Amino acid sequence: MTAIRIENLCKTYRGGQNGKDTTAVRDLSLEVKEGEIFGFLGPNGAGKTTTIHMLLNLIRPTHGTAHLFGQPVTDTAVHRRLGYLPESVNLHDYYCGRSLLNFYAGLCDMPAKVKPARVNELLKLLNLEGAAEKRVSKYSKGMAQRIGFAQAMLHDPDLLILDEPTASLDPVGRKEFRDILIELKRRGKTIFISSHILSEVETICDRVAILQNGELKRIGTLSELSSGKITKLVIKSLPAPVLEGLTATAAEVTLLHGRITIRCPDEELRQSVEELLCQHQVEIVQTETEVQSLEEIFFSSITPPPKL
Amino acid sequence: MKIIFLVAGDSIYALLHQRLLLGLMLASLALTIFFSVVMSKARNQITQSFSDNQPMTNSFAFGGTNQMSQADQRKFREQVEQASSGIQAGFYGITSFGGSLVALFIFSTAVASEIRRGTIRLTLSKPVSRHQFLLGKYLGGVAVMAGYALVSGVAILIFSQTQNVELNSAIKWSPWLMFCRQLMLGSLAMLLSLFMHPIIASVLAYFAGNGFYSLHNPLYYLLPGYQDFNVFFKVLEGSLINFKDVVYLSLYATDFVIIMLLLALWRFRTKELV
Repeated sequence: MTAIRIENLCKTYRGGQNGKDTTAVRDLSLEVKEGEIFGFLGPNGAGKTTTIHMLLNLIRPTHGTAHLFGQPVTDTAVHRRLGYLPESVNLHDYYCGRSLLNFYAGLCDMPAKVKPARVNELLKLLNLEGAAEKRVSKYSKGMAQRIGFAQAMLHDPDLLILDEPTASLDPVGRKEFRDILIELKRRGKTIFISSHILSEVETICDRVAILQNGELKRIGTLSELSSGKITKLVIKSLPAPVLEGLTATAAEVTLLHGRITIRCPDEELRQSVEELLCQHQVEIVQTETEVQSLEEIFFSSITPPPKL
Repeated sequence: MKIIFLVAGDSIYALLHQRLLLGLMLASLALTIFFSVVMSKARNQITQSFSDNQPMTNSFAFGGTNQMSQADQRKFREQVEQASSGIQAGFYGITSFGGSLVALFIFSTAVASEIRRGTIRLTLSKPVSRHQFLLGKYLGGVAVMAGYALVSGVAILIFSQTQNVELNSAIKWSPWLMFCRQLMLGSLAMLLSLFMHPIIASVLAYFAGNGFYSLHNPLYYLLPGYQDFNVFFKVLEGSLINFKDVVYLSLYATDFVIIMLLLALWRFRTKELV
Protein backbone atom coordinates (compact mmCIF):
# COMPACT_ATOMS: atom_id res chain seq x y z
CA MET A 1 0.00 0.00 0.00
CA THR A 2 1.06 3.57 -0.63
CA ALA A 3 1.84 5.72 2.41
CA ILE A 4 2.28 8.96 0.47
CA ARG A 5 0.87 9.71 -2.97
CA ILE A 6 1.56 13.10 -4.54
CA GLU A 7 0.08 13.90 -7.94
CA ASN A 8 0.98 16.94 -10.03
CA LEU A 9 1.49 19.06 -6.94
CA CYS A 10 2.15 22.76 -7.57
CA LYS A 11 2.58 25.65 -5.19
CA THR A 12 2.83 29.21 -6.39
CA TYR A 13 3.10 32.15 -4.00
CA ARG A 14 1.34 35.17 -5.41
CA GLY A 15 3.12 38.51 -5.41
CA GLY A 16 6.37 37.36 -3.84
CA GLN A 17 9.61 39.23 -4.36
CA ASN A 18 9.19 42.31 -6.59
CA GLY A 19 5.49 41.51 -6.86
CA LYS A 20 6.23 38.49 -9.06
CA ASP A 21 4.71 35.08 -8.48
CA THR A 22 7.12 32.52 -7.06
CA THR A 23 6.68 28.85 -7.86
CA ALA A 24 8.03 26.76 -5.00
CA VAL A 25 6.88 23.35 -6.27
CA ARG A 26 6.18 22.45 -9.94
CA ASP A 27 4.14 19.50 -11.04
CA LEU A 28 5.56 17.11 -8.45
CA SER A 29 4.42 13.50 -8.54
CA LEU A 30 5.80 10.70 -6.40
CA GLU A 31 4.78 7.73 -4.30
CA VAL A 32 6.24 6.39 -1.10
CA LYS A 33 5.39 2.79 -0.26
CA GLU A 34 4.59 1.61 3.24
CA GLY A 35 7.63 0.38 5.15
CA GLU A 36 10.04 2.42 3.06
CA ILE A 37 12.66 4.95 4.19
CA PHE A 38 12.43 7.65 1.56
CA GLY A 39 15.03 10.40 1.24
CA PHE A 40 13.83 13.76 -0.02
CA LEU A 41 16.85 15.72 -1.21
CA GLY A 42 17.59 19.02 -2.82
CA PRO A 43 19.55 22.23 -2.35
CA ASN A 44 18.12 25.10 -0.29
CA GLY A 45 14.97 26.51 -1.87
CA ALA A 46 14.29 23.32 -3.80
CA GLY A 47 10.75 23.09 -2.40
CA LYS A 48 11.25 20.24 0.08
CA THR A 49 9.78 22.00 3.11
CA THR A 50 6.95 23.48 1.03
CA THR A 51 6.04 19.96 -0.11
CA ILE A 52 6.11 18.74 3.49
CA HIS A 53 3.89 21.64 4.56
CA MET A 54 1.41 20.67 1.86
CA LEU A 55 1.47 17.06 3.08
CA LEU A 56 0.64 18.35 6.57
CA ASN A 57 -2.15 20.57 5.23
CA LEU A 58 -0.45 23.67 6.65
CA ILE A 59 -0.54 25.25 3.21
CA ARG A 60 -2.82 24.53 0.28
CA PRO A 61 -1.48 23.43 -3.11
CA THR A 62 -2.18 25.68 -6.08
CA HIS A 63 -2.81 22.54 -8.15
CA GLY A 64 -2.59 18.82 -7.64
CA THR A 65 -3.42 16.47 -4.83
CA ALA A 66 -1.68 14.73 -1.96
CA HIS A 67 -2.85 11.65 -0.10
CA LEU A 68 -1.61 9.90 3.03
CA PHE A 69 -2.60 6.24 3.32
CA GLY A 70 -5.21 6.83 0.64
CA GLN A 71 -6.86 9.72 2.49
CA PRO A 72 -6.64 13.33 1.30
CA VAL A 73 -4.26 15.37 3.46
CA THR A 74 -7.15 17.65 4.44
CA ASP A 75 -8.63 14.77 6.46
CA THR A 76 -7.42 15.38 10.03
CA ALA A 77 -8.16 11.78 11.03
CA VAL A 78 -5.20 10.57 8.98
CA HIS A 79 -2.91 12.50 11.35
CA ARG A 80 -3.45 9.70 13.88
CA ARG A 81 -1.03 7.71 11.73
CA LEU A 82 1.41 10.57 11.23
CA GLY A 83 4.35 11.92 13.22
CA TYR A 84 6.13 15.11 12.19
CA LEU A 85 9.42 16.71 13.16
CA PRO A 86 9.95 20.18 11.63
CA GLU A 87 13.22 21.64 10.44
CA SER A 88 13.46 24.17 13.26
CA VAL A 89 11.76 22.63 16.26
CA ASN A 90 9.64 25.34 17.83
CA LEU A 91 8.08 23.91 20.92
CA HIS A 92 5.69 25.25 23.55
CA ASP A 93 8.69 26.20 25.67
CA TYR A 94 6.76 27.07 28.83
CA TYR A 95 6.33 23.35 29.56
CA CYS A 96 8.89 21.03 31.06
CA GLY A 97 9.86 18.10 28.85
CA ARG A 98 7.50 15.61 30.46
CA SER A 99 4.50 17.99 30.50
CA LEU A 100 5.10 18.81 26.84
CA LEU A 101 4.95 15.15 25.88
CA ASN A 102 1.86 14.70 28.07
CA PHE A 103 0.20 17.61 26.26
CA TYR A 104 0.92 16.12 22.83
CA ALA A 105 -0.15 12.68 24.05
CA GLY A 106 -3.48 14.26 25.03
CA LEU A 107 -3.86 15.74 21.56
CA CYS A 108 -3.22 12.27 20.11
CA ASP A 109 -6.01 10.98 22.35
CA MET A 110 -3.64 8.54 24.02
CA PRO A 111 -5.36 6.56 26.81
CA ALA A 112 -4.41 7.81 30.29
CA LYS A 113 -3.28 4.31 31.29
CA VAL A 114 -0.54 4.03 28.66
CA LYS A 115 0.50 7.69 28.59
CA PRO A 116 3.00 7.82 31.50
CA ALA A 117 4.72 4.61 30.43
CA ARG A 118 5.03 5.76 26.81
CA VAL A 119 6.35 9.19 27.84
CA ASN A 120 8.93 7.58 30.13
CA GLU A 121 9.94 5.13 27.42
CA LEU A 122 10.61 7.93 24.94
CA LEU A 123 12.42 10.11 27.46
CA LYS A 124 14.69 7.15 28.17
CA LEU A 125 15.17 6.26 24.50
CA LEU A 126 16.23 9.81 23.66
CA ASN A 127 18.41 10.31 26.75
CA LEU A 128 16.17 13.01 28.16
CA GLU A 129 15.32 11.39 31.49
CA GLY A 130 17.56 13.81 33.37
CA ALA A 131 15.93 16.82 31.69
CA ALA A 132 12.33 15.61 31.95
CA GLU A 133 11.42 18.17 34.62
CA LYS A 134 13.45 21.00 33.09
CA ARG A 135 11.69 23.83 31.19
CA VAL A 136 11.94 23.30 27.42
CA SER A 137 13.08 26.94 27.05
CA LYS A 138 16.27 25.92 28.89
CA TYR A 139 16.98 23.04 26.49
CA SER A 140 19.96 23.11 24.15
CA LYS A 141 19.32 22.82 20.39
CA GLY A 142 20.17 19.13 20.43
CA MET A 143 17.84 18.46 23.37
CA ALA A 144 15.03 20.39 21.69
CA GLN A 145 15.58 18.29 18.56
CA ARG A 146 15.40 15.10 20.63
CA ILE A 147 12.22 16.11 22.47
CA GLY A 148 10.81 17.11 19.08
CA PHE A 149 11.60 13.64 17.80
CA ALA A 150 9.98 12.15 20.92
CA GLN A 151 6.72 14.01 20.24
CA ALA A 152 6.77 12.77 16.65
CA MET A 153 7.07 9.14 17.80
CA LEU A 154 4.75 9.52 20.78
CA HIS A 155 1.67 7.80 19.35
CA ASP A 156 3.72 5.19 17.48
CA PRO A 157 2.71 6.55 14.05
CA ASP A 158 2.90 4.50 10.86
CA LEU A 159 4.45 7.38 8.95
CA LEU A 160 7.15 9.76 10.15
CA ILE A 161 7.81 12.96 8.22
CA LEU A 162 11.18 14.34 9.29
CA ASP A 163 12.46 17.66 7.98
CA GLU A 164 16.23 17.99 8.54
CA PRO A 165 16.03 15.84 11.67
CA THR A 166 19.72 15.69 12.53
CA ALA A 167 20.70 19.27 11.79
CA SER A 168 21.26 20.12 15.48
CA LEU A 169 22.60 16.78 16.64
CA ASP A 170 26.20 15.89 17.43
CA PRO A 171 27.79 12.78 15.82
CA VAL A 172 26.76 10.56 18.74
CA GLY A 173 23.19 11.88 18.56
CA ARG A 174 23.16 11.28 14.80
CA LYS A 175 24.29 7.70 15.22
CA GLU A 176 21.61 7.07 17.87
CA PHE A 177 19.02 8.71 15.66
CA ARG A 178 20.04 6.53 12.70
CA ASP A 179 19.75 3.41 14.84
CA ILE A 180 16.24 4.44 15.92
CA LEU A 181 15.20 4.94 12.29
CA ILE A 182 16.57 1.54 11.29
CA GLU A 183 14.67 -0.03 14.20
CA LEU A 184 11.49 1.78 13.14
CA LYS A 185 11.94 0.51 9.59
CA ARG A 186 12.39 -3.02 10.94
CA ARG A 187 9.01 -2.58 12.62
CA GLY A 188 7.45 -1.67 9.28
CA LYS A 189 7.17 2.11 9.73
CA THR A 190 7.38 4.44 6.75
CA ILE A 191 9.86 7.30 7.04
CA PHE A 192 9.94 10.34 4.77
CA ILE A 193 13.15 12.19 5.52
CA SER A 194 14.36 15.47 4.12
CA SER A 195 18.06 16.04 4.73
CA HIS A 196 21.17 17.78 3.51
CA ILE A 197 23.43 15.16 5.01
CA LEU A 198 23.81 12.90 1.98
CA SER A 199 26.00 10.28 3.69
CA GLU A 200 23.27 9.78 6.28
CA VAL A 201 20.53 9.42 3.68
CA GLU A 202 22.72 7.03 1.70
CA THR A 203 23.10 4.77 4.73
CA ILE A 204 19.45 4.44 5.65
CA CYS A 205 17.22 5.25 2.67
CA ASP A 206 15.67 2.69 0.36
CA ARG A 207 14.81 5.27 -2.29
CA VAL A 208 15.51 8.94 -2.83
CA ALA A 209 14.00 11.83 -4.76
CA ILE A 210 16.09 14.82 -5.81
CA LEU A 211 14.41 18.17 -6.20
CA GLN A 212 15.69 21.43 -7.63
CA ASN A 213 13.77 24.67 -8.09
CA GLY A 214 10.58 22.85 -7.21
CA GLU A 215 11.04 20.21 -9.93
CA LEU A 216 11.64 16.54 -9.43
CA LYS A 217 14.99 15.73 -11.05
CA ARG A 218 15.49 12.07 -10.16
CA ILE A 219 13.71 9.38 -8.17
CA GLY A 220 14.62 5.78 -7.43
CA THR A 221 16.95 3.47 -5.53
CA LEU A 222 20.67 4.29 -5.48
CA SER A 223 21.46 1.59 -8.03
CA GLU A 224 18.64 2.81 -10.29
CA LEU A 225 19.91 6.35 -10.11
CA SER A 226 23.55 5.47 -10.58
CA SER A 227 24.17 6.47 -14.21
CA GLY A 228 27.15 4.67 -15.77
CA LYS A 229 27.73 1.62 -13.61
CA ILE A 230 31.38 1.13 -12.75
CA THR A 231 32.59 -2.45 -13.30
CA LYS A 232 35.64 -4.08 -11.71
CA LEU A 233 37.11 -7.12 -13.43
CA VAL A 234 39.36 -9.30 -11.31
CA ILE A 235 41.94 -11.36 -13.26
CA LYS A 236 44.67 -13.86 -12.35
CA SER A 237 47.49 -12.72 -14.68
CA LEU A 238 48.25 -9.66 -16.72
CA PRO A 239 50.30 -10.38 -19.85
CA ALA A 240 52.35 -7.50 -21.28
CA PRO A 241 50.25 -7.11 -24.49
CA VAL A 242 47.09 -6.72 -22.38
CA LEU A 243 48.73 -4.10 -20.19
CA GLU A 244 49.89 -2.32 -23.33
CA GLY A 245 46.38 -2.42 -24.74
CA LEU A 246 44.88 -1.08 -21.48
CA THR A 247 47.21 1.92 -21.26
CA ALA A 248 45.48 3.45 -24.27
CA THR A 249 42.09 3.34 -22.47
CA ALA A 250 40.52 4.99 -19.41
CA ALA A 251 40.58 1.69 -17.52
CA GLU A 252 42.43 1.74 -14.19
CA VAL A 253 44.60 -1.24 -13.25
CA THR A 254 45.49 -1.94 -9.63
CA LEU A 255 47.59 -4.67 -8.10
CA LEU A 256 46.87 -5.21 -4.44
CA HIS A 257 47.83 -8.28 -2.36
CA GLY A 258 48.39 -10.30 -5.52
CA ARG A 259 44.92 -9.41 -6.84
CA ILE A 260 44.75 -7.65 -10.21
CA THR A 261 41.71 -5.44 -10.75
CA ILE A 262 40.70 -3.54 -13.89
CA ARG A 263 38.21 -0.71 -13.13
CA CYS A 264 36.00 0.25 -16.09
CA PRO A 265 34.06 3.53 -15.54
CA ASP A 266 31.46 2.77 -18.22
CA GLU A 267 29.75 -0.06 -20.05
CA GLU A 268 31.40 0.57 -23.42
CA LEU A 269 34.89 0.36 -21.98
CA ARG A 270 33.98 -2.79 -20.07
CA GLN A 271 33.04 -4.50 -23.32
CA SER A 272 36.27 -3.53 -25.08
CA VAL A 273 38.38 -4.64 -22.07
CA GLU A 274 36.56 -7.98 -21.97
CA GLU A 275 37.28 -8.45 -25.71
CA LEU A 276 40.96 -7.66 -25.15
CA LEU A 277 41.19 -10.16 -22.28
CA CYS A 278 39.44 -12.77 -24.37
CA GLN A 279 41.86 -12.25 -27.29
CA HIS A 280 44.79 -12.98 -24.96
CA GLN A 281 42.95 -15.80 -23.19
CA VAL A 282 43.03 -14.11 -19.80
CA GLU A 283 40.43 -15.56 -17.46
CA ILE A 284 38.12 -13.18 -15.60
CA VAL A 285 37.91 -14.53 -12.07
CA GLN A 286 35.28 -12.15 -10.74
CA THR A 287 33.12 -9.24 -11.92
CA GLU A 288 32.06 -6.59 -9.40
CA THR A 289 29.64 -3.74 -10.01
CA GLU A 290 30.15 -0.48 -8.17
CA VAL A 291 27.31 2.12 -8.05
CA GLN A 292 27.86 5.86 -7.77
CA SER A 293 27.78 7.41 -4.33
CA LEU A 294 24.69 9.48 -3.46
CA GLU A 295 26.84 12.57 -3.53
CA GLU A 296 27.91 11.80 -7.10
CA ILE A 297 24.30 11.12 -8.08
CA PHE A 298 23.13 14.29 -6.36
CA PHE A 299 25.63 16.57 -8.05
CA SER A 300 25.10 14.96 -11.43
CA SER A 301 21.33 15.51 -11.03
CA ILE A 302 21.26 19.17 -10.16
CA THR A 303 22.29 22.18 -12.17
CA PRO A 304 25.17 23.85 -10.33
CA PRO A 305 24.33 27.34 -9.04
CA PRO A 306 25.98 30.23 -10.92
CA LYS A 307 29.40 31.16 -9.50
CA LEU A 308 29.56 34.43 -7.59
CA MET B 1 -14.61 18.58 22.83
CA LYS B 2 -11.65 17.07 24.67
CA ILE B 3 -9.23 18.48 22.10
CA ILE B 4 -10.82 21.95 22.35
CA PHE B 5 -10.40 21.90 26.13
CA LEU B 6 -6.81 20.70 25.81
CA VAL B 7 -5.96 23.53 23.42
CA ALA B 8 -7.79 25.97 25.73
CA GLY B 9 -5.84 24.65 28.73
CA ASP B 10 -2.59 25.07 26.85
CA SER B 11 -3.66 28.57 25.85
CA ILE B 12 -4.33 29.52 29.49
CA TYR B 13 -1.01 28.02 30.56
CA ALA B 14 0.78 29.96 27.82
CA LEU B 15 -0.98 33.22 28.76
CA LEU B 16 0.01 32.82 32.40
CA HIS B 17 3.62 32.70 31.21
CA GLN B 18 3.27 35.92 29.20
CA ARG B 19 5.13 38.65 31.07
CA LEU B 20 3.48 41.44 29.08
CA LEU B 21 0.01 40.16 29.85
CA LEU B 22 0.75 39.72 33.55
CA GLY B 23 2.27 43.21 33.55
CA LEU B 24 -0.89 44.63 31.96
CA MET B 25 -3.11 42.88 34.49
CA LEU B 26 -0.99 43.97 37.44
CA ALA B 27 -0.79 47.54 36.15
CA SER B 28 -4.56 47.62 35.78
CA LEU B 29 -5.03 46.28 39.30
CA ALA B 30 -2.47 48.68 40.77
CA LEU B 31 -4.08 51.66 39.01
CA THR B 32 -7.50 50.60 40.27
CA ILE B 33 -6.28 50.34 43.84
CA PHE B 34 -4.44 53.65 43.60
CA PHE B 35 -7.44 55.49 42.15
CA SER B 36 -9.82 53.94 44.68
CA VAL B 37 -7.59 54.85 47.61
CA VAL B 38 -7.32 58.46 46.36
CA MET B 39 -11.07 58.72 45.88
CA SER B 40 -11.68 57.10 49.25
CA LYS B 41 -9.44 59.69 50.90
CA ALA B 42 -11.39 62.45 49.15
CA ARG B 43 -14.62 61.01 50.50
CA ASN B 44 -13.16 60.84 54.01
CA GLN B 45 -12.10 64.46 53.70
CA ILE B 46 -15.70 65.43 52.90
CA THR B 47 -16.87 63.50 55.97
CA GLN B 48 -14.16 65.11 58.07
CA SER B 49 -14.98 68.63 56.93
CA PHE B 50 -18.66 68.01 57.70
CA SER B 51 -17.78 66.70 61.17
CA ASP B 52 -15.60 69.77 61.78
CA ASN B 53 -18.55 72.04 60.89
CA GLN B 54 -21.01 70.11 63.07
CA PRO B 55 -20.22 71.86 66.48
CA MET B 56 -20.72 75.21 64.75
CA THR B 57 -24.10 74.11 63.50
CA ASN B 58 -25.05 72.85 66.97
CA SER B 59 -24.16 76.21 68.54
CA PHE B 60 -26.96 77.76 66.50
CA ALA B 61 -29.38 75.18 67.78
CA PHE B 62 -31.43 77.76 69.62
CA GLY B 63 -31.78 80.24 66.80
CA GLY B 64 -33.76 78.27 64.18
CA THR B 65 -30.75 76.55 62.72
CA ASN B 66 -32.56 73.23 62.30
CA GLN B 67 -33.31 74.04 58.65
CA MET B 68 -29.66 74.85 57.94
CA SER B 69 -28.62 71.61 59.56
CA GLN B 70 -30.93 69.66 57.26
CA ALA B 71 -29.53 71.49 54.27
CA ASP B 72 -26.03 70.66 55.42
CA GLN B 73 -26.98 67.06 55.85
CA ARG B 74 -28.46 66.96 52.38
CA LYS B 75 -25.35 68.57 50.98
CA PHE B 76 -23.20 66.13 52.88
CA ARG B 77 -25.18 63.16 51.62
CA GLU B 78 -24.97 64.45 48.06
CA GLN B 79 -21.22 64.98 48.34
CA VAL B 80 -20.68 61.53 49.84
CA GLU B 81 -22.86 59.93 47.18
CA GLN B 82 -20.98 61.78 44.47
CA ALA B 83 -17.67 60.67 45.92
CA SER B 84 -18.90 57.06 46.20
CA SER B 85 -20.15 57.13 42.61
CA GLY B 86 -16.84 58.62 41.54
CA ILE B 87 -14.93 55.85 43.30
CA GLN B 88 -17.08 53.17 41.72
CA ALA B 89 -17.01 54.77 38.26
CA GLY B 90 -13.25 55.17 38.48
CA PHE B 91 -12.86 51.60 39.66
CA TYR B 92 -15.00 50.41 36.78
CA GLY B 93 -13.34 52.71 34.22
CA ILE B 94 -9.84 51.49 34.97
CA THR B 95 -10.69 47.79 35.25
CA SER B 96 -12.77 48.02 32.08
CA PHE B 97 -10.08 49.79 30.06
CA GLY B 98 -7.35 47.51 31.43
CA GLY B 99 -9.53 44.49 30.68
CA SER B 100 -10.10 45.69 27.12
CA LEU B 101 -6.36 45.98 26.57
CA VAL B 102 -5.83 42.54 28.06
CA ALA B 103 -8.61 41.07 25.88
CA LEU B 104 -7.23 42.67 22.73
CA PHE B 105 -3.76 41.38 23.53
CA ILE B 106 -4.96 37.84 24.29
CA PHE B 107 -7.30 37.35 21.36
CA SER B 108 -5.34 39.14 18.65
CA THR B 109 -2.18 37.16 19.42
CA ALA B 110 -3.86 33.82 20.18
CA VAL B 111 -3.39 32.36 16.70
CA ALA B 112 -0.92 34.87 15.27
CA SER B 113 1.75 34.13 17.89
CA GLU B 114 1.42 30.37 17.30
CA ILE B 115 1.95 30.93 13.57
CA ARG B 116 4.87 33.31 14.18
CA ARG B 117 6.61 30.94 16.61
CA GLY B 118 5.85 27.89 14.46
CA THR B 119 4.28 25.92 17.31
CA ILE B 120 1.04 25.59 15.34
CA ARG B 121 2.80 23.20 12.94
CA LEU B 122 3.34 20.61 15.65
CA THR B 123 -0.14 21.03 17.13
CA LEU B 124 -1.85 20.64 13.76
CA SER B 125 0.33 17.66 12.84
CA LYS B 126 -1.61 15.83 15.56
CA PRO B 127 -5.22 14.80 14.96
CA VAL B 128 -6.40 18.34 15.72
CA SER B 129 -8.64 20.06 13.20
CA ARG B 130 -8.34 23.75 12.48
CA HIS B 131 -11.73 24.54 13.97
CA GLN B 132 -10.84 22.68 17.18
CA PHE B 133 -7.64 24.68 17.40
CA LEU B 134 -9.33 28.05 16.85
CA LEU B 135 -12.19 27.35 19.23
CA GLY B 136 -9.73 26.07 21.83
CA LYS B 137 -7.72 29.27 21.55
CA TYR B 138 -10.85 31.39 21.91
CA LEU B 139 -12.05 29.36 24.88
CA GLY B 140 -8.67 29.79 26.59
CA GLY B 141 -9.01 33.56 26.19
CA VAL B 142 -12.59 33.45 27.52
CA ALA B 143 -11.39 31.59 30.62
CA VAL B 144 -8.67 34.17 31.31
CA MET B 145 -11.12 37.06 30.79
CA ALA B 146 -13.66 35.34 33.07
CA GLY B 147 -10.92 35.16 35.70
CA TYR B 148 -10.21 38.85 35.21
CA ALA B 149 -13.92 39.77 35.53
CA LEU B 150 -14.20 37.59 38.63
CA VAL B 151 -11.16 39.20 40.25
CA SER B 152 -12.50 42.70 39.50
CA GLY B 153 -15.93 41.71 40.89
CA VAL B 154 -14.42 40.33 44.07
CA ALA B 155 -12.10 43.35 44.37
CA ILE B 156 -14.99 45.80 44.17
CA LEU B 157 -16.93 43.79 46.75
CA ILE B 158 -13.97 43.73 49.14
CA PHE B 159 -13.36 47.41 48.53
CA SER B 160 -16.99 48.35 49.18
CA GLN B 161 -17.01 46.31 52.39
CA THR B 162 -13.74 47.67 53.75
CA GLN B 163 -14.35 51.29 52.74
CA ASN B 164 -18.08 51.37 53.58
CA VAL B 165 -19.03 52.30 50.04
CA GLU B 166 -22.57 51.37 49.12
CA LEU B 167 -22.55 49.76 45.67
CA ASN B 168 -25.03 51.19 43.21
CA SER B 169 -27.16 49.08 40.90
CA ALA B 170 -25.14 49.72 37.75
CA ILE B 171 -21.80 48.67 39.24
CA LYS B 172 -23.27 45.35 40.37
CA TRP B 173 -23.69 44.32 36.74
CA SER B 174 -20.45 45.88 35.56
CA PRO B 175 -18.17 42.77 35.77
CA TRP B 176 -20.62 40.77 33.65
CA LEU B 177 -21.17 43.54 31.09
CA MET B 178 -17.45 44.26 31.00
CA PHE B 179 -16.84 40.55 30.37
CA CYS B 180 -19.39 40.51 27.51
CA ARG B 181 -17.82 43.61 25.96
CA GLN B 182 -14.34 42.11 26.19
CA LEU B 183 -15.48 38.91 24.51
CA MET B 184 -16.98 40.97 21.68
CA LEU B 185 -13.76 42.95 21.32
CA GLY B 186 -11.75 39.74 21.50
CA SER B 187 -13.75 37.88 18.88
CA LEU B 188 -13.43 40.78 16.45
CA ALA B 189 -9.71 41.17 17.20
CA MET B 190 -9.20 37.44 16.65
CA LEU B 191 -11.01 37.56 13.31
CA LEU B 192 -9.05 40.61 12.13
CA SER B 193 -5.74 39.11 13.28
CA LEU B 194 -6.28 36.35 10.69
CA PHE B 195 -6.02 38.99 7.99
CA MET B 196 -3.50 41.48 9.39
CA HIS B 197 -0.86 42.17 12.04
CA PRO B 198 -2.21 41.68 15.59
CA ILE B 199 -1.48 45.28 16.61
CA ILE B 200 -3.43 46.70 13.66
CA ALA B 201 -6.18 44.15 14.34
CA SER B 202 -6.38 45.27 17.99
CA VAL B 203 -6.54 48.97 17.13
CA LEU B 204 -9.19 48.38 14.47
CA ALA B 205 -11.24 46.16 16.77
CA TYR B 206 -11.13 48.77 19.56
CA PHE B 207 -12.17 51.67 17.34
CA ALA B 208 -14.73 49.71 15.35
CA GLY B 209 -17.51 50.49 17.84
CA ASN B 210 -20.63 52.24 16.55
CA GLY B 211 -20.28 54.88 19.27
CA PHE B 212 -18.44 57.07 16.78
CA TYR B 213 -21.44 57.27 14.45
CA SER B 214 -24.88 58.85 14.67
CA LEU B 215 -28.13 56.91 14.47
CA HIS B 216 -28.57 58.14 10.89
CA ASN B 217 -25.34 56.57 9.72
CA PRO B 218 -25.76 52.98 8.40
CA LEU B 219 -22.44 52.08 10.05
CA TYR B 220 -24.15 52.55 13.41
CA TYR B 221 -26.21 49.43 12.71
CA LEU B 222 -23.35 47.41 11.24
CA LEU B 223 -20.59 48.02 13.76
CA PRO B 224 -20.55 46.52 17.25
CA GLY B 225 -22.29 48.57 19.94
CA TYR B 226 -19.65 48.48 22.67
CA GLN B 227 -20.89 51.65 24.34
CA ASP B 228 -24.10 49.96 25.50
CA PHE B 229 -21.96 47.78 27.73
CA ASN B 230 -20.14 50.73 29.22
CA VAL B 231 -21.70 51.53 32.60
CA PHE B 232 -19.26 54.33 33.50
CA PHE B 233 -21.79 57.20 33.19
CA LYS B 234 -24.58 55.13 34.68
CA VAL B 235 -22.42 54.48 37.74
CA LEU B 236 -21.42 58.13 37.91
CA GLU B 237 -25.04 59.28 37.67
CA GLY B 238 -26.24 56.52 39.95
CA SER B 239 -28.73 55.29 37.30
CA LEU B 240 -30.34 51.88 37.41
CA ILE B 241 -29.76 49.00 35.00
CA ASN B 242 -32.72 46.71 34.40
CA PHE B 243 -32.24 42.99 34.43
CA LYS B 244 -34.08 42.96 31.10
CA ASP B 245 -31.40 45.23 29.62
CA VAL B 246 -28.67 42.94 30.91
CA VAL B 247 -30.36 39.93 29.27
CA TYR B 248 -30.77 41.85 26.03
CA LEU B 249 -27.11 42.94 26.03
CA SER B 250 -25.93 39.42 26.86
CA LEU B 251 -27.90 38.01 23.92
CA TYR B 252 -26.52 40.72 21.65
CA ALA B 253 -22.94 39.89 22.74
CA THR B 254 -23.52 36.14 22.26
CA ASP B 255 -24.93 36.76 18.81
CA PHE B 256 -22.01 39.00 17.87
CA VAL B 257 -19.38 36.56 19.17
CA ILE B 258 -20.97 33.64 17.30
CA ILE B 259 -20.97 35.59 14.02
CA MET B 260 -17.34 36.67 14.51
CA LEU B 261 -16.26 33.11 15.36
CA LEU B 262 -18.02 31.70 12.30
CA LEU B 263 -16.26 34.24 10.11
CA ALA B 264 -12.95 33.47 11.82
CA LEU B 265 -13.46 29.72 11.25
CA TRP B 266 -14.24 30.35 7.60
CA ARG B 267 -11.06 32.40 7.20
CA PHE B 268 -8.88 30.04 9.26
CA ARG B 269 -10.03 27.00 7.24
CA THR B 270 -7.95 28.09 4.25
CA LYS B 271 -5.29 30.25 5.89
CA GLU B 272 -1.67 29.42 5.13
CA LEU B 273 -0.10 28.57 8.47
CA VAL B 274 3.61 29.01 7.84
